[in-house]
Amino acid sequence: MTTLDAVDSTPWGLSPKLLAAVVALLTGAICLLLQPYAPWLFAFPAGWTVPATEWVGTTLEVVLNAIKPTMRLFSAAIAYPMEWANIALAGTPWPVVIGTVTAIGWHLGGWRMGLLGFVGFLFVLLSGYWEESMNTLSLVVVSVPLAMILGGLIGLLANEIPRLRAALLVALDAMQTIPTFAYLTPLLLLFGFGPVVGLVASAIYAAPPMARNVILGLERVEPEVKEAGVMSGATRFQQLFLVEIPAASRQIMVGVNQCLMAALSMVIIAAVIGGFDDIGWEVLLTMRKAQFGQAFLAGLVIVTFAIVIDRMSARLALERKRFDARISWGLFAAGVAGAILLWLTGVSAPPEGIFGGVADSVDTALGDFTAANGASLDSVKNNAMFYGLLPLRIGLDEAVLPFTWGFQWTSSMSLWLFVAAGLGGALLALTGRPVAGALLLIAVGILETGIANLPWPFVLVGAAALAWLAQGPRFALVVTALLATILISGLWERALLSLYLSGAAVAACAVVGGALGLLAAISPMAWRVLRPICDMLQTIPLFVFLIPVLMFFQIGEFSAFLAICAYAIVPMIRYTQAGIVSTPPELLEAATASGASQTQTLLDVRLPYATPVILLGLNQTILYAFAMLVIAALIGTTGLGQSIYLALGQADVGLGVSAGAAMAILAFIADRLVQGFAEERRKALGLA
Amino acid sequence: MTDRPAISVENLWQVFGANAASAYDEASGGPPEEIAAKLKAQGLIPAVRGVTFDVAPGELFVVMGLSGSGKSTLIRGISRLVEPTAGRVEIEGEDVLAATPKRMIELRRSKIGMVFQHFGLFPHMSVIDNVAFPLKVGRMSRKERHDKVRPIIETVGLAGREDAYPRELSGGQKQRVGIARSLAGDCSVWFLDEPFSALDPLIRRQLQDEFLEIRKRLNTTIVFITHDIAEALKLADRIAIMRDGQVVQIGTPTEIVLNPVDDYVREFARDVARGRHAKVGSIMQGGTEGIGPDDPGLSPDMTLEDALASCMKLYEPVPVRDASGTLLGAVHPKDLAKALQVEQG
Repeated sequence: MTTLDAVDSTPWGLSPKLLAAVVALLTGAICLLLQPYAPWLFAFPAGWTVPATEWVGTTLEVVLNAIKPTMRLFSAAIAYPMEWANIALAGTPWPVVIGTVTAIGWHLGGWRMGLLGFVGFLFVLLSGYWEESMNTLSLVVVSVPLAMILGGLIGLLANEIPRLRAALLVALDAMQTIPTFAYLTPLLLLFGFGPVVGLVASAIYAAPPMARNVILGLERVEPEVKEAGVMSGATRFQQLFLVEIPAASRQIMVGVNQCLMAALSMVIIAAVIGGFDDIGWEVLLTMRKAQFGQAFLAGLVIVTFAIVIDRMSARLALERKRFDARISWGLFAAGVAGAILLWLTGVSAPPEGIFGGVADSVDTALGDFTAANGASLDSVKNNAMFYGLLPLRIGLDEAVLPFTWGFQWTSSMSLWLFVAAGLGGALLALTGRPVAGALLLIAVGILETGIANLPWPFVLVGAAALAWLAQGPRFALVVTALLATILISGLWERALLSLYLSGAAVAACAVVGGALGLLAAISPMAWRVLRPICDMLQTIPLFVFLIPVLMFFQIGEFSAFLAICAYAIVPMIRYTQAGIVSTPPELLEAATASGASQTQTLLDVRLPYATPVILLGLNQTILYAFAMLVIAALIGTTGLGQSIYLALGQADVGLGVSAGAAMAILAFIADRLVQGFAEERRKALGLA
Repeated sequence: MTDRPAISVENLWQVFGANAASAYDEASGGPPEEIAAKLKAQGLIPAVRGVTFDVAPGELFVVMGLSGSGKSTLIRGISRLVEPTAGRVEIEGEDVLAATPKRMIELRRSKIGMVFQHFGLFPHMSVIDNVAFPLKVGRMSRKERHDKVRPIIETVGLAGREDAYPRELSGGQKQRVGIARSLAGDCSVWFLDEPFSALDPLIRRQLQDEFLEIRKRLNTTIVFITHDIAEALKLADRIAIMRDGQVVQIGTPTEIVLNPVDDYVREFARDVARGRHAKVGSIMQGGTEGIGPDDPGLSPDMTLEDALASCMKLYEPVPVRDASGTLLGAVHPKDLAKALQVEQG
């Protein structure tokens, strides 16, 4: 692979970075100058696009219809175990379920886990959502084994047949970057409305983490352990199942944990299809009716589930003490005894929720609060929209109006802005930082135009230039081709809108999350506070993030922005903290011995050393933002996310899949770009 | 029949890289150095270059070389953990490289045992299950295989630790498990890949002594890899010294120490107190002329050091006799002193 090191001969003796910046700048400038004469540079003419979404739709429908009978058979077959799980879970008296969960908790992690299971499920019971919760759980219980088998098989296949490995890894990447809603649409067509769609979707969505961990685990088994298996005369089958898989069991258990969490998350998202009375549906229903107290309560039930499942299954990957099995059986027996007792007294149904009153009063209180503080909430929202998001989206020239800013943006103002930026850029260039100068001009140009109105040649050239810097000329070609595909398929405007919203969220996360991560790295106290919050935010299924923002800011782009930020900020905090804290002690000692102050050590030693790790955090943040962007379509965003969501409602496979693919393309490009830069930094530091 | 070597390796090549086999076929013919140069020019890595040697039944054959000399790759080629590019390997007359996968599994279960540098213990199995693993994959019942390996575990000094897990053992104990496991299948050919290199010096010496004890009782044919000349001299019947994938000298410890074939081997031998490794027999003259009046009681398997100590004040040839007292030959004290002299420069 070619990286920056390989790009050493450039025309006119410019450094690669400067060359890239100048080419992008010139493209942008030419587009701006030609705007009056060639409007097609900005708005890609509809006549030049091809009806790609329709083609995709027609092709897919033919394919889907061809395999539909088989799939319906499969759906009928899989409906049985689901029904059984459902009957088993819903039919089991609640004391037995709680007793069993507590017993499993004890078995996995002693009294702490036992208590967690007990309190968690008791809360679920008292919330009044017992039946809905058991329905959700039964979906998880059936989809997880499916996902584990699927993921395990993919992992084994990649391990056993090295030639398939690269292709399988690409497939796993795709399964994870294609937005969750996007593959609900074809599944909907295949299986019809009903819980099977959610089941299959979550099995597909949860398989990749399992597969990845199986591959990783098998790869990391010590070579001599594998060789000892061979030399003991084991057949390949014996080597795999008696030696390699057991030796990799810890890593595989990490996979099981991630698989469970992904399945839960997807089962809840799949509730938007409806047709099944589970807890996700309950959240959606109450949210639509603006019963935020109830939605919040149901959301808490989901969070409780997520925490119990996550913490318990995480114990699987740790080295465990053995806990007395007799206590496990005792707890289970206590549950059964409780059930019998209840049956004898004649109250076998789960109790009515005792939090109903609380939820109602939360509703009222919230109503009062928003009524009382509506003006200030609105002003927060409006300020953020008018002075932050809107200019970023449509540019200063359109966003600055007398109505909001108090004056009208004129072309002379644009001129002055460019003159000022030109002077600043020239100053930077003259003081030896030409790249920074060119970047300043580009930034001002983007601000003036707005991300949603960027001329497409500029986006293509700019992205290709970045790709060239990050991974070399071949990747630049790939990026250009992928973006051109979006361009001619008529999804360009929506893609830019998505880019704008996720870009704004990522920028906000980078600044705020970076600052918080820095704070957490400097002050252990701050980290003690932030860490459980981060843990919590990462455990919560995506869907639940929508509830609190809706409670305060109603439907709209700002709420979506906040929800994306809340979810995507976590990796930025974590990686920044981890990167800075992990500076090798001898480097710090060397800095201290050289007489560096705390601040100098931080700026000159710790931060540069942490850059690759922080970049990886940024990379995660970008991927998280894209994932959430689609979910946020539920509460009002424009762009690809909205198209995917609309396609789901109209069962429009072509639109759903094309928009999903466009989204995956954007995520893929962002991912590889940042990884390329992180890799380059690692190499420069001699860490690769 | 009895003269047949237990292990016979002939012109073994191990080349790493894309299309190594066809590149080797094209380059072959001519001395190994030329072939290696041609392969390297194509970006391939010839790790083992035309190695040839025989190991007699019951012999302890040590392969010694620095890291990167190809010794670990060599033993992996002979045991077919990696597929050799070219050459021939025979174990007890059977062409191993032509064996089917099924036959290889049989061979490994019943004939070949191997010990690894970093032990290669299965982390999820107890000591007894680790040791009994070759029997388990050979489909022996649980009780039978446990009964069979208990005495072996005792032999390596781990009685009472049968139910411990590898993570609970020290390095020395781990390698005892590794040794026991390699013995579980009653192997007649035993490969040891730097078995004591990962241990600290005291434990290493202790295990070397125990290894020699076990070896005396078993009478297996052994190929032992090491990078430690002292270990090689202490254990070996014969030593092969490897450099850059080739064997540069094969000989008994005495031959290696007294007659190093080139500077590379001489460098190894330099730090070694020769007197402790070379035997009187290596410098003994056949004739009995000129034997002086004194008889300090020399025998052929006495080390030079001991011999010199007993004829410090003698200036005439002294007789060398075997255990029964038969006169075998003579040694001149002057030759003793000369042989012991470490070369300068």
